[in-house]
Amino acid sequence: MMKDAFAQTLTVASYEVRKYLRGRRLIGMLVLLALIIGLILGVPPALGVKYASQPNVFVSTFAGFASLLVVLGGVLFAADALVSEHEKRTGYFLFPNPVRREVLVLGKLVASLVTSSMIISLYYLAATVAAVAVTGATTWEIGLSYAYALAYMAAVVGVAYLISAIFKSTVAATVLTFFLFTLIFAIVGSLLNLGKVAPWFIPTSAAGIIGDVLAPPTFGGPGGAFASFVPDATTSLLVFAAYFIAGSVLAILLFRRRELST
Amino acid sequence: MPPANRPPSPNGAPVHLAALGKDYGRFTALKALDLTVQEGTSLGFLGPNGAGKSTTIKIMTRLIRPSRGQATLFGLDVQREPTRALTRVGAVIETPEFYGYLTPLETLAYVGRLRRMARKDITARSEAVLKEVRLGEWAGHRIQEFSKGMKQRLAIAQALLHEPDLLVLDEPTSGLDPRGMAEIRDLIKSIKGKGRTIFMSSHLLGEVQEACDEVALLNHGELLLQGSVRDLSRGSGRSTFQATFLRPPTETELAALSGIAGIDEITPQGDGVFDLKISGGEEAQAAILEAMVRQGLRVTSFRPLGSPLEQLYLDRIKESDRI
Repeated sequence: MMKDAFAQTLTVASYEVRKYLRGRRLIGMLVLLALIIGLILGVPPALGVKYASQPNVFVSTFAGFASLLVVLGGVLFAADALVSEHEKRTGYFLFPNPVRREVLVLGKLVASLVTSSMIISLYYLAATVAAVAVTGATTWEIGLSYAYALAYMAAVVGVAYLISAIFKSTVAATVLTFFLFTLIFAIVGSLLNLGKVAPWFIPTSAAGIIGDVLAPPTFGGPGGAFASFVPDATTSLLVFAAYFIAGSVLAILLFRRRELST
Repeated sequence: MPPANRPPSPNGAPVHLAALGKDYGRFTALKALDLTVQEGTSLGFLGPNGAGKSTTIKIMTRLIRPSRGQATLFGLDVQREPTRALTRVGAVIETPEFYGYLTPLETLAYVGRLRRMARKDITARSEAVLKEVRLGEWAGHRIQEFSKGMKQRLAIAQALLHEPDLLVLDEPTSGLDPRGMAEIRDLIKSIKGKGRTIFMSSHLLGEVQEACDEVALLNHGELLLQGSVRDLSRGSGRSTFQATFLRPPTETELAALSGIAGIDEITPQGDGVFDLKISGGEEAQAAILEAMVRQGLRVTSFRPLGSPLEQLYLDRIKESDRI
């Protein structure tokens, strides 16, 4: 039984990855990736600014955009994964098969993680190659930053799945996932900061370690007023894990109970 | 599926619904449906739109949960053991959408792999079922290019891929053009010829008469009748015939017409045309025609309006609507 479920999970994952590979989203994401890398590498020489000579400082520029790529990955490769089966009526063909709903969610989850990881990996690979070419060296911290970015990605995907299991419209699920991680969490984090409450449990705050591990923040105002709070690495990783696990488990539970009656 | 791989069927009929009910808030879509379909039977699940047919099928295929009662397939409870219960079932629910980025061959491979079929079986069966539904030439095309009729045929192909013992079809000709409907009906008849159990919902009586040997009639979430198409076709005892006369009958002729034994009701349709509600079978119909001719009425045509089963269907639905 478990063997069957495992094989079915892999089947679902492989077909979902195929969906992303054949879709326009992946191409769009790769174009965006190329654009970001091109701008980071092309703008300084065009303005007559020298590249940073330290590999960590050099890659920190890349790391500054990693969070945005992670969120876009979650939006494009996770936010509509579950809701679309209902809205686009593909569930009518998929669900009457002898496959447990949790297997379908797990397979899709694996596909979303694999596809988003591919994007992040490509980005960090480009950053590392550029760092070696420019500074002649690479560091462990670059690898750590990459690992943190992957952990943050898991948290984003987990939350995106939860949203996808709740909403009835792919557009609503996609838009909410995007604004949750680009705006809503940031606003909540800032308000908590103002209220002297450390927002250690907000994933966007924890995502600060992606850049901080390469170049610790410089305080922009008296008393560090302009520096946003970033929890330590262990706390950040625990926060990411909590969001990923809670999001995925709740998504499975909701998807199992959800009826296809449209 | 080879018999060795089949899950046990503890004396279970292909379909057994016991006091099955479904509520959507305060609306009851299905009251307490009791229905059993024996092996090898082709059952037409009839009823007007909103009767509860799709609700029943969605419960049977685990798309929705029942509010009460139980649905078992081959003796296995769909809610408790969904994967085992659906192993021997192939289903087409409404007109499903497929992943547009896949081809029919890839879609069938996906279904086959989910059903844990061997690769060589998937390849062989995919070719066979695509040929059967006349999609062979389109096997390598992306589904995003397909029409509704082609998707419907693909839906039937995926339902047949694993050679299911029970085929569940929900309005299989819905939304198709007349040619597409005829093709699907022919396909169902050929499947029926192979001895499979078929559970087919429809609101088209002619379709059910053509493709099924048993019928169950549902309205307002309640089962009104169940029986063989043959028995119900001849056993209703009432039918409507349309008689056309060469010239409109006079008052006297009409009075004589209404006095003929077996004619229960006469409804003028204008221009010498009358609908006659008749009691009795073929003997009574022949006697009525003879009586009309004997009385000097010049009959130019005398034909049944719909089948006896249609009459029964309409009578039962009307009766149930009144209640």
